[in-house]
Amino acid sequence: MAEDRVPTWEDVARRYGRKIYSFAYRLTGNPDDASDLVQEVLLRVRKGLANYTPGSFEGWLWRITRNAFLDDVRKKKRRPTTQLPDDDRAVLGATPSPDEVLASVRLSDDVQAALLKVPMEFRECVVLCDVVGLSYEEISNAIDAPVGTVRSRIHRGRKQLRGLLTWPM
Amino acid sequence: MADVTQPRPTEHHDAIEGSACDIGELMSAYLDGELRDGELDRVVAHLADCLECIAEFHDLKEARTAVRMLPMLQVPDRVMPAAHYGPELSAFLDGELTVEEQTMIVSHLQGCTDCLLELQDLDAARTAIRALPGVEPPVPLLPRLPVRSQRTSLRRLAIAAAGFIGAAVIAFNMASSGPEPTSVDLDQFADRHNVRVSVDDGAVVVPALSGRTAP
Repeated sequence: MAEDRVPTWEDVARRYGRKIYSFAYRLTGNPDDASDLVQEVLLRVRKGLANYTPGSFEGWLWRITRNAFLDDVRKKKRRPTTQLPDDDRAVLGATPSPDEVLASVRLSDDVQAALLKVPMEFRECVVLCDVVGLSYEEISNAIDAPVGTVRSRIHRGRKQLRGLLTWPM
Repeated sequence: MADVTQPRPTEHHDAIEGSACDIGELMSAYLDGELRDGELDRVVAHLADCLECIAEFHDLKEARTAVRMLPMLQVPDRVMPAAHYGPELSAFLDGELTVEEQTMIVSHLQGCTDCLLELQDLDAARTAIRALPGVEPPVPLLPRLPVRSQRTSLRRLAIAAAGFIGAAVIAFNMASSGPEPTSVDLDQFADRHNVRVSVDDGAVVVPALSGRTAP
């Protein structure tokens, strides 16, 4: 999306809805929490667009997303669920062939389960980097932490994740 | 959950505890192309000699690949009920969208009857407009070109010439009808005139001009 154009709420919903949902789902492993987060983020974006000045839209959006996520977790006063996701089959975007889907789901389940065992502060940075596709600088803006901290958290998160994945890669 | 706003006191440094080498987290930044000036040479030089770090580098790369291969998930319809593709549908019909945008719309159309119906309406409207015949503009709207003026002059000249020749023919016929002067009976002339206008052009032969002589 162009940096100098203020997007409409519908633009944000269409272009970033899946990313926001995936971000929340990979962090929590819970489709209901992910859906709640998408709705909350879009609501905040809708309110915030009136005062938004063109600039780093992605930084603005992911700061809202991350704050909404933290608020939601605090409001529910519980840790994000660590249940194995059992509905990747229902939320996968594409369905090439039955074998590929099943293999993909098994792989996704393993990685998702491992992700949920990584401490949240590391998991958050790994997901923003490798699922959402943000740069270290953008992650730094989103979580309001120095780039050095982002770098460290991503490294530690990946290192722990690899230790949790038992199957050969 | 853990308070993610409070970094752990020990986490912000380059080296990782338990690692024998000092490049530590630089390897993840190297993977992501996020190294700062001078760090790249340091990492590359170290990885050339240290088998332990090479193995760790591959582990980090595998972990990164595993997360990146997680599928992007589809948002449940109930979450975004109002997100429809309005303005993009015409551009979609005309093939003016990017491949990414086209993919999003195709995916959306599979589950959204509203947008599918709108797309059909737009397609029908586009087809109707494209099927309209071309229209010639009215003559008075055309600019007066020099060529047209020349043609008009030639036509007027032709008409004048035809009139002159016609008058000459009439005069010749009248002159060849005889030496006696022609006297015109007004009543008969009126009758003949009525006959003339009631018959198709070209089928009438005016008696007075076809050798009729005065009594």
